Amino acid sequence: MASAPTLRIDLDSAVPAYRQIVDGLRILLVNGKLAPGSELPSVRRMALDLGVHFNTVAEAYRLLAEEGWLDLRHGRSARVIYRDAPDPTSGSLKEFGYRLRALLAEMLANGAPTEDLRNALRTAAEELES
Amino acid sequence: MKPEETIALLNLVFVAAIFQFMPLLTRQGIFFSATVDPDFPRSVDGRRLLRSYRWQSALSAVSAIALLLTLPSHRPGLVVLAPMLIMVAGSVCGYWLKFREVHARYGQRRPEIRQAELSSQPSRASFSPWLWLPPFVAMAITAAYLQARYIELPLRFPVHWGADGQPNRWATREPLTVFAPLLMGAGMNLLMLGLAWMISRVSRNTIMRRVTVRLLEVLLYPLTFTFIVVALLPLGLVVPMWVIPGFMLACGAGLIYWSYRQIAAPAIADAVPEPQNDAYWKAGMFYYNPSDPAIFVAKRVGIGYTMNFSGRWAWVVMALTLAVVVGSIALARQAK
Repeated sequence: MASAPTLRIDLDSAVPAYRQIVDGLRILLVNGKLAPGSELPSVRRMALDLGVHFNTVAEAYRLLAEEGWLDLRHGRSARVIYRDAPDPTSGSLKEFGYRLRALLAEMLANGAPTEDLRNALRTAAEELES
Repeated sequence: MKPEETIALLNLVFVAAIFQFMPLLTRQGIFFSATVDPDFPRSVDGRRLLRSYRWQSALSAVSAIALLLTLPSHRPGLVVLAPMLIMVAGSVCGYWLKFREVHARYGQRRPEIRQAELSSQPSRASFSPWLWLPPFVAMAITAAYLQARYIELPLRFPVHWGADGQPNRWATREPLTVFAPLLMGAGMNLLMLGLAWMISRVSRNTIMRRVTVRLLEVLLYPLTFTFIVVALLPLGLVVPMWVIPGFMLACGAGLIYWSYRQIAAPAIADAVPEPQNDAYWKAGMFYYNPSDPAIFVAKRVGIGYTMNFSGRWAWVVMALTLAVVVGSIALARQAK
């Protein structure tokens, strides 16, 4: 039996926990490890496993539901739903490009070799597309 | 020496042995509840600290035994309680001092990486009906056997024995008294199973959870054996005095050793690790983390779970436990 995917967060990170949960889940949603129809753990279960407040997980689920990834209904587990990617606007592409450049600059400033960055970007893109 | 004093002495020796062994019953990379390099316990400093703690614990055990031998024997409550308190307080104090030293001088800070399994069904692999069902079947068979031979039971039979092995309480032949040991056994087994079920539901998926749930399931066997033997005594079953405590002790020692092998194994990683930071462990023993919603947290040393004392539920459970203990003592005194 295939084991369930896992979500990891780092509480020492400057990125807030709810944002890490959103980002981590979105990676799994985009690369299909969480397929439409999959059920996520309850807010209580996820908060217990991660050792964070219930509201932190509830906020992360709510943001993903707003993006169209999750169906949240009272008394039921959060369910992954099918979602069509919206057409990108020039503004959003510019914003993502800026964020990517900022991340790359931060990585270079911390000593990551350019070749490693190139490989990491290619691998990440291939994983998300597969 | 009176039988009560002999039992108190044996209890002291047993608990002293547990305190000697306790620092080893922990995960790799934890030493006296502090996070350290996994090789530190085998280093010169690690061995020195362990030796020093063991001497402190042994000293408190010797003081407790000396107190036991000098206390007036007409105060049985004092004979049992005071030496045990001395020994536990001495050993716990020694442990706390070692935690402080290890944490301050050799402690490490691990990254606070948390992990969750993304399954809507929590893993409960070690909760097996094949393990917990046979004791209930054995008790049902014993009940049927007692029912079949009900008429052969004596009209009056012993139901309680003193420390000297002599019966000191009797009951008449009625369905409730005949089946009472089996009912109590079933109740105890259900309590153990309820605890195992609760832990499998409300704790993180760690090696400690698997060990604790399995331990509680296996504990049903010595409990069932004890209650079945007691239930069959009125039919003339002859069992030497040492059989039940001996069996319980052998099972207890075997389970502790098995748990130690599981918990201290370096290769087994927790699917959902507990929070790592030493700052959450007050005096190395009490978990206090207001941002963690967990009520039960795997102990850092020993087997089983402790509670998150930052939440009100831990204090409610503590108060209820205390009320049950005090209430039982008060009821027992009233009955005398």
